[in-house]
Amino acid sequence: MTGISRRTFLRGTAATAALAAAAGSLSFGAWQAEQAHAAGDAVEEAPSLCNGCSSKCGLVATTVGGRLWTLRGSDVHPYAKGHICGRGHGLAQMAYSDERLTSPMRRTESGEFEPISWDDAFAEIGQKVKEIIAANGPESLAIIQDPRPSGKYYSKRFMNALGSPNVYAHSSSCNLSKESAYTYTIGASNYSTDFGNAKMVMFIGRSYGDGIRPSSVASLAAAAEAGTRIVSVDPRLNNSGIFSDDWVPINPGTDLAFLMAMCNVLIEEDLYDHEFVEQNTVGFEEFAAQAKECTPAWAETITDVPAERIEELARAMAAAAPAASIEAGWRAVIGCAYKNSFDTARAATAVNALLGCWGQKGGALLTSSPKAGKLDDARFDDPPKPEAKAIGAKEYPLALASAGTNVAALEAALDGRLKGMFFYNSNAAKGYAQPKAWTEALGKLDLVVTIDVQMSETALQSDYVLPECTYLERLELPEWIGGKKHFVGMRTRVLEPIHPETKACDEIFNGLAEACGVGEYFQFTAEELAAAQLKTVGVDIETIKKEGTVELADPKFAYGTPTFKTASGKFEFKTDAVGEAGLNPVIGYVERKVTPKVGEFYIVGGKQGIHSHTMTQNIAALNAISRQYNMERLWMSAKDAESLGIADGDTVELSSSEHTGTVAVRVTQRMKPGVLFLPTHYGGDSPYQTRAYQYGVALTDFIPFDAEPGVGSMMSQEVAVTVTKVEA
Amino acid sequence: MARYGMLINTKKCVGCYACRIACQMKNHLEPTEAFIRYEERETGEYPSVYSEIIPLQCQHCEDAPCAAVCPTHATYITDSGVVLVDENKCIGCKYCMAACPYGARIVREETGVVEKCRFCWEDGKPGDPPACVGTCISGARVFGDLDDPASEVSKAIAEYNAQPIAGDLTKSKIFYVR
Amino acid sequence: MIWGPMIAWYLFLAGASAGAFLTAAFVEAKYPDSNKMRIAGRIIAPVFVGIGLLMLMLDAEAGLMNPLRFFYLISNPGSVMTLGVYFICIYMPVALVVALLEILKKKVPKWLTWIGIVFAFAVAAYTGFLLGVVKTFPLWNNAILPILFVVSALSAGLAATSLVGLVTDREKFEHMWLVKKSHVILSAVELVILFTMLVIVHTGSSAGAATVDSLIAGQYALPFWAGIILLGLVAPFLIEGYPVFITKRVETSTTSLVLSVIGESGVLIGGFLLRLLVVLAALPLVFV
Repeated sequence: MTGISRRTFLRGTAATAALAAAAGSLSFGAWQAEQAHAAGDAVEEAPSLCNGCSSKCGLVATTVGGRLWTLRGSDVHPYAKGHICGRGHGLAQMAYSDERLTSPMRRTESGEFEPISWDDAFAEIGQKVKEIIAANGPESLAIIQDPRPSGKYYSKRFMNALGSPNVYAHSSSCNLSKESAYTYTIGASNYSTDFGNAKMVMFIGRSYGDGIRPSSVASLAAAAEAGTRIVSVDPRLNNSGIFSDDWVPINPGTDLAFLMAMCNVLIEEDLYDHEFVEQNTVGFEEFAAQAKECTPAWAETITDVPAERIEELARAMAAAAPAASIEAGWRAVIGCAYKNSFDTARAATAVNALLGCWGQKGGALLTSSPKAGKLDDARFDDPPKPEAKAIGAKEYPLALASAGTNVAALEAALDGRLKGMFFYNSNAAKGYAQPKAWTEALGKLDLVVTIDVQMSETALQSDYVLPECTYLERLELPEWIGGKKHFVGMRTRVLEPIHPETKACDEIFNGLAEACGVGEYFQFTAEELAAAQLKTVGVDIETIKKEGTVELADPKFAYGTPTFKTASGKFEFKTDAVGEAGLNPVIGYVERKVTPKVGEFYIVGGKQGIHSHTMTQNIAALNAISRQYNMERLWMSAKDAESLGIADGDTVELSSSEHTGTVAVRVTQRMKPGVLFLPTHYGGDSPYQTRAYQYGVALTDFIPFDAEPGVGSMMSQEVAVTVTKVEA
Repeated sequence: MARYGMLINTKKCVGCYACRIACQMKNHLEPTEAFIRYEERETGEYPSVYSEIIPLQCQHCEDAPCAAVCPTHATYITDSGVVLVDENKCIGCKYCMAACPYGARIVREETGVVEKCRFCWEDGKPGDPPACVGTCISGARVFGDLDDPASEVSKAIAEYNAQPIAGDLTKSKIFYVR
Repeated sequence: MIWGPMIAWYLFLAGASAGAFLTAAFVEAKYPDSNKMRIAGRIIAPVFVGIGLLMLMLDAEAGLMNPLRFFYLISNPGSVMTLGVYFICIYMPVALVVALLEILKKKVPKWLTWIGIVFAFAVAAYTGFLLGVVKTFPLWNNAILPILFVVSALSAGLAATSLVGLVTDREKFEHMWLVKKSHVILSAVELVILFTMLVIVHTGSSAGAATVDSLIAGQYALPFWAGIILLGLVAPFLIEGYPVFITKRVETSTTSLVLSVIGESGVLIGGFLLRLLVVLAALPLVFV
């Protein structure tokens, strides 16, 4: 921690400050800061990485007397660029929450939780793990984690050390379809948009203004101001709508038809980049044959987007190419929502291929990422690679291997293949697939261990709950950030532990490993490993403790056709591996699974800028905003509301095949008629989280337990719902 | 002497509430207390609809109705035009709250004192920049000296032709782009 | 809403206090032998305004916690609230001294009564101007509200005093034609003023229209029609007006006593509800 000028804040004792304030010589703000903290408290700054979402933006925290005061964005970090979003500010306050986990807990026979010591928790968990391995082999153990710098490393290392390959990210309820699809078409799980030089950018369902990364919002705002034509294809006019020139309301889950029709226009009207297609792609002929059927008129019947509009957009994109592209998307329609999400994602990259915008100025860019070099200390050597393949690798061969599909783990828990599960920073039982299925699965397991900072719904159904300290109280492994430039960032201990019986990620896994008999692979702290990793890129850990985020050697990004790290080394309109998984090897049209009948609605979910799934709802500052602005409400188009006699604020009963719940309605002109929007942060079931408990409804409750073929995404929006007004 | 003011560009505001929470932290407010509130407006009908979020806070009016009605002079205006509340004079009568056309004032739970945005005033000067401006992720907020034509805020107001939210009602010093 | 029932109580009690003081002065001048009515008015005056001020202080939480801050109240003569404090600073001691002299059975000097009369009017009017200068709320920000508050204050003070007269000295009370006539006329005048104000507020702005709609047909319709209009204005007008203007005879029956008590209480309830709804129902102008 580095001290900064205390002059602004400190003027002798509180008493003299109060006197001075009364005399008018000291400002009110300074006086108040003085009041809030005992005299003589040091004002200090320390860096960290936000834990509010997967962006993990660099930040600098200011503390007064060891207590958090303010946050600001790191000027160096490429995602923050000096700014922190509301969710980031709010999440930091979790440290002082009155509803944190403060000691290890064991669930008793009656279902209540009782505090136990760390030693007992480790010993009992270790014993059970050994029993499970002895009886069913290490393959009957699994871990699910929402990737965080230390967590993703330790989760994998712990499972592998035990001999289990079953390591899963949250991805099947996030961006698994997209990341998997892109890996087949462009050989990378993501790409970026060159906003600074773009003439036209099309968003498919994604909203930077709702799922926020500060620098992305700034780039979009700047592009919109500079005259870049921004198109938003979304059944809802989302919060990025202020930047959009075109809002294209579309039937949910039909984006694939829209994209295929775009391709149809580009090919049939000969607007595509012949040179790129001929030199850098495979499977174009087969693709063109499939796209030929997908005319704009055909797409209009499916998407409800007029054929002329599709034609105009395709022509405009072609005219702007190569400084025109489809933005990479993240979750929902392209990530995990529908039976066709994988192919929707592939089709988006196909449009970019036809535009010839890959790697071009103003187009879609593939950039590189840094990573740590080889470590020469034997303590850090990987444990032996488990012999078995991870559960799900066979059933869902298209899932990105590094993420896996946790739906497969859920299926294996239900059918008895899994006996023990660990959850790190993951509220799978509420936030992923159908909660009822999770409850059934967790009930069948011999051992469930959850590591979290709060009593999530998953923790609530675990045998052991291990309390982690919040991210501001712990140092973590370095986070590597790719792009046109390379960076490395790291969490440092900004706050001293607030609750003495909480531990950091590395301490918890080290303890677990020791108790499970694999402590030999965990003979180091996160700080020691961090120092070793950083050394390989020439960064001193003391530097990063001070700076938080450091720029690494320039990767020398250059525009031009990139190297596609696919099987063929080219952009793939056709991938045999996809065909072998039982899907259409060629990018083509696939229908969504569930289509609402007359009287039923489509329903789509989505983020709100202040929340991260179910993780942030119980934070007082964020929950207060939700409640003040009625953010839990179900959005309904004014037209639908009128025909159902529903007024703004009325309560309705929302029903699907799986669940019925009551929720208030927000009547709006911003929805496509026939479609409902439900923010996916509400409807908490954990009574330990009093602010989130039973506030609003959760979309996951309404979704049938199912999986996208070949990929294993949860199909988070494959459902039709009905709405009935609840008479007051 | 500087004359401080702000520009808020609703065409860049996505409603992330960062300004509200950064302000709460900076000013030690409770989670339910906020110096910034938001109005949401939809205009037009589907599919030709425009939606905007309008952050509102103390407008630091030159004709400040709050200061005019404050019976104790707890609310006062600094030489640089920033409207402040001296918490040692406020009795919590809430007359200022009634008089403020912008609904920008709140009663603090702890003290009963009425408070509001103070441009993060500290040590005789405003925040550099105020917390809401510093955290704004899209650059929707600009702060500075309105009397200095070369200041970023003056230039932005001129460029966008930004206007006070209620015309010349109170000669307010937050200018909006809508 | 910014202010609640506490402030409504204050506005009502301060007004009724002024009205009671004026009633007592009126009774003293016109019916010198009606001791009980006069005494009642003179005691009600400081008691009501005292309770009202207590309400005001309870509502001003920061001041309650730091009572010395109330001295700052005299700082800003430009504020109607400070003006009110000046008025009350004179009115309250005068009312107290008058009550004290009355209790000690000493004569109240004319000049003191006159000072009391002037500042009683000032206090009654200021409760209206306090709201009237607030431009945010169309229901408050009009020229009629202070007049309405003055009329209602006189009516309420009269009613409070009359209630005591009715119970303690009915015979003399029933003969005070001037008092009774004034009472009926005040009710009628107040009804007209209220109606005029609502028309003006309704036509002035959309916020004003919404406010008036909430009073006459929305969430406040029941207390407005049943409380203010029926109980507070129409019923007293009929109950008092019938004997005063139609039958023109002195009532002695128990039925008429009960009716009169209902009428006077109605004026008081209506007077309070008027302040309460004016405070609660006012919607602000919308600029965004």
